[in-house]
Amino acid sequence: MASRVLAQCVRQLPRSSVRLSSGNIAVRTAAVPRTRWTEQTRISSSVGVFCRQYGDLPPLTIESIKERVMYVLKLYDKINPEKLATSSHFLKDLGLDSLDQVEIIMAMEDEFGFEIPDVEAEKLMSPQDIVQYIADKKDVYE
Amino acid sequence: MANPLRREVRQLYKNLLYLGREYPQGADYFRERLNSAFMKNKYVTDPKEIRKLVDCGEDVIKELGTMYYLREYSIMKKRFYEEELLGLLNIGRPTD
Repeated sequence: MASRVLAQCVRQLPRSSVRLSSGNIAVRTAAVPRTRWTEQTRISSSVGVFCRQYGDLPPLTIESIKERVMYVLKLYDKINPEKLATSSHFLKDLGLDSLDQVEIIMAMEDEFGFEIPDVEAEKLMSPQDIVQYIADKKDVYE
Repeated sequence: MANPLRREVRQLYKNLLYLGREYPQGADYFRERLNSAFMKNKYVTDPKEIRKLVDCGEDVIKELGTMYYLREYSIMKKRFYEEELLGLLNIGRPTD
């Protein structure tokens, strides 16, 4: 949307200058190639010159969250990577301890860069739960 | 296990893990020792016992806190007062 507004401003600039110097014929002829120039910029304005770029992380998708969660879990030494699936329960299927679950949640906090309060961390018992929780917290909907 | 106590144990473990990251002898060494210490008391069910152990853990947190504080203090002191020490020993001063 910002690029559209900026493109409109670009279009209006030479037009307003033509209006100011409308008495001068020479300027009017000179204005013709300038409007051609604005036609060209109308096409390519979304790409380049007036577009600001802010630094930020790429937007999260559910797929990317799941990949990162599984990657972190595979690096954990107490988990067998072959037994790991998105729906495997930490305590029941993977044979982990509640203390291991605390460590896993801490690793997730480090990976995604935000704190998970204990009240909610207790309930995250499988990779699918974690992905769902992070998607809820980070407003990722698909 | 009673729920509030369970939560306290979790929080204790978490805090100790955070502190253990900066342990001088290595974070892994600390983590293993911590795990074995918690596993030893895994089957304690008496709430009073659990409370005592949790208090023990909190003392450990305080000890680690002071240890890190002293370590930082000594590093800072060395950094800022080194020049004075060198001055006393007349080393590193340009000769006039």
